[in-house]
Amino acid sequence: MLWFALILSDLPLQVFTRGVDEPGELAVVEHSPGARVVAATAAALARGVEPGQGAAGALAVAPSLQLRERDPALEAATLAEFAAWATQFTPCVSIDPPDGLVLETSGSLRLFGGVTGLVRRIRAGLAPLGLDAAIAAAPTPLAARWLARTHPGRQLRAAAEWWRKLDDLPVELLGDGAEVSRATLDLLHGIGARRIGDVARLPRDGLARRQASVVLDTLARARGERPDPRPWFLPPERFESRLVLPASLLHTEPLLFAAGRLFSGLSAWLAARHAALDRCRLQLEHEGHPDTVLEIVTGTPGRDDGRLLMLAREHLAALQLPAPVEALRLLADNPVVTPGRTQDLFSDPDSARDAAALLLDRLRARLGREAVRTVHPVCEHRPERAWRLADPGRPAPHSTPPATGPRPLWLMNEPRALDSIRALTLLRGPERIESGWWDGADMRRDYYIARAPDAALWWVFEQLDPPGGWYVHGFFG
Amino acid sequence: MAALAQTTLAALPSGLVWQADRLAQSAEAGIATGFAALDAQLPGGGWPRNALIELLSDRPGIGELGLLLPVLHALPADRWIVWVAPPHLPYAPALVAAGVPLERLLLLEPGNHAEILWSVRQALASGGSSIVLAWLARADTAALRRLQLAAESSATPLFLFRPVSAARQPSPAVLRLRLAASDGELAVDILKRRGPGLAAPLYLSLPQRPGLRRIPALNDALVRPDPVRSAAAGIHARRG
Repeated sequence: MLWFALILSDLPLQVFTRGVDEPGELAVVEHSPGARVVAATAAALARGVEPGQGAAGALAVAPSLQLRERDPALEAATLAEFAAWATQFTPCVSIDPPDGLVLETSGSLRLFGGVTGLVRRIRAGLAPLGLDAAIAAAPTPLAARWLARTHPGRQLRAAAEWWRKLDDLPVELLGDGAEVSRATLDLLHGIGARRIGDVARLPRDGLARRQASVVLDTLARARGERPDPRPWFLPPERFESRLVLPASLLHTEPLLFAAGRLFSGLSAWLAARHAALDRCRLQLEHEGHPDTVLEIVTGTPGRDDGRLLMLAREHLAALQLPAPVEALRLLADNPVVTPGRTQDLFSDPDSARDAAALLLDRLRARLGREAVRTVHPVCEHRPERAWRLADPGRPAPHSTPPATGPRPLWLMNEPRALDSIRALTLLRGPERIESGWWDGADMRRDYYIARAPDAALWWVFEQLDPPGGWYVHGFFG
Repeated sequence: MAALAQTTLAALPSGLVWQADRLAQSAEAGIATGFAALDAQLPGGGWPRNALIELLSDRPGIGELGLLLPVLHALPADRWIVWVAPPHLPYAPALVAAGVPLERLLLLEPGNHAEILWSVRQALASGGSSIVLAWLARADTAALRRLQLAAESSATPLFLFRPVSAARQPSPAVLRLRLAASDGELAVDILKRRGPGLAAPLYLSLPQRPGLRRIPALNDALVRPDPVRSAAAGIHARRG
């Protein structure tokens, strides 16, 4: 067994800072009972803000400090998104509250190139998510967690007496990821235990008498002497992720940056499910305003976050934001399972088919669906109805057009009345089109091909029903 | 002296010196236009593959699309044939009859001039189009320059339909043709190509244009100021 622990240090802060490039001076406060700083950005720490400080005190040392209320629900949701992301490395992912994951990786270690390879992969994947995690590996989940807390980057191998290495860790860790209470820790501290090794040397029955048997139990689990089963995280059927911006935004570029974080999460969620999707919904949350909803539709199912981001860029470029954006939410469901194709569906840039699909997506995203069409013929005598607009890419219906004369390549939207046809030379006709008596849009027309003075060929007709008259309806382009 | 220069030039390896009285030899063969007379006048023996080509004409109906129909047939099936902002509706029954693959046709109706230019550049840059046709009422030289560069780097021909008045404006287009109709044929004036200008226009007879003769009786009849209306009659049963 080899467990990886991924601890999101300062999770209360990370949920706000992951959406921006440069978070600036920002602190998260919690009411307990007065407003106290829980975590602060590097810029804020440099100004003298300290965790545990009162909000007023923090503002006194850093007047430009931004304060955000701690959001436990968002932290939990982010942790779940993080867990869904981690399932791409192993199916055995367990959420380790309040701020971490443990991954049992013995099954997939070889696939990712051993411990170093896996750590590299995890680190590479973390950056696009905008999260920062301390990573360590050990034969038990608790040991891995404690190592990540104290010696990130370290790994303990399951050699003989490997657990002796835990003895040097501070005793406070017993309360991290386990049920050892603050009172018990104070008790241990009171009797002089500073390191975990000190606790291990204490008489066991004495500890048990002081209701500290949970300490023994925790130690045994950390050392692997007692089983420590973990509930495996099941990736949700539906992807939903929310990202709160540290400050409201009206600009596209930083919004895209934040959206990119969400798309990375979506992409990993899809990768873990061996699935792809062709639509998702990005919601921009405003204060005191209904959400702005962007439907992002791709022509072919895929899981390339870069492609989704590019489409989002086109949507945002065409968008007038009604109000500043406070948060982003990405929703997706109904992924399509894509067996057999690994990694990236769009990794082959040479494929003309992909390029064509991408172009279609991009044009639709920017211009709107109505502006990107194709024409199909309709089996119908009346010229106005012998065509229809259709979505591009589908084969045109195989219709045998009614036996007709030559048809012009251009049709005018509306036939244009001609004052006189004296200037025209009629070359061919008439072709009588008389149809539609059954649906009220009936017509009786004699169509001719006519030559205009500039030698252009026009498709003209004489209206046979009152009020009559001559019209030009198309051009032989 | 002249004779000397002639021999010296002739002795040089071909391709090093371009002589103004010859057509430039395009490194890449062009796309056959479908008209032998036109191919013979174009460097590369056809439409350049990665260039901006301007087609100047003022009014629809002279055969401006017919000129491109042969090219539209023979395109790879996995890319789009993109039409950006055509002035009228491309009429599906006629396109089908002409053999244009409608499932590859992408008809774009951008809302404004800037979006037209954007769409053209996207269509070129994506590598997902085999040909781009675009209708532009106006464009400054910088915009044309960007389109030419986009066409060049994407290896996709861009046919730009512009008014004849644009001929006065300098253009980075590799090929500029002025189109006019004449007696059932399409007169093609090569205003600019890589090589010397062409004195006289080419006359192409377009396959898709119906061979037409005047209908004498009818025209004579129509000269009447007010055509006599026949009684409302038809082969179909009418209302009432």
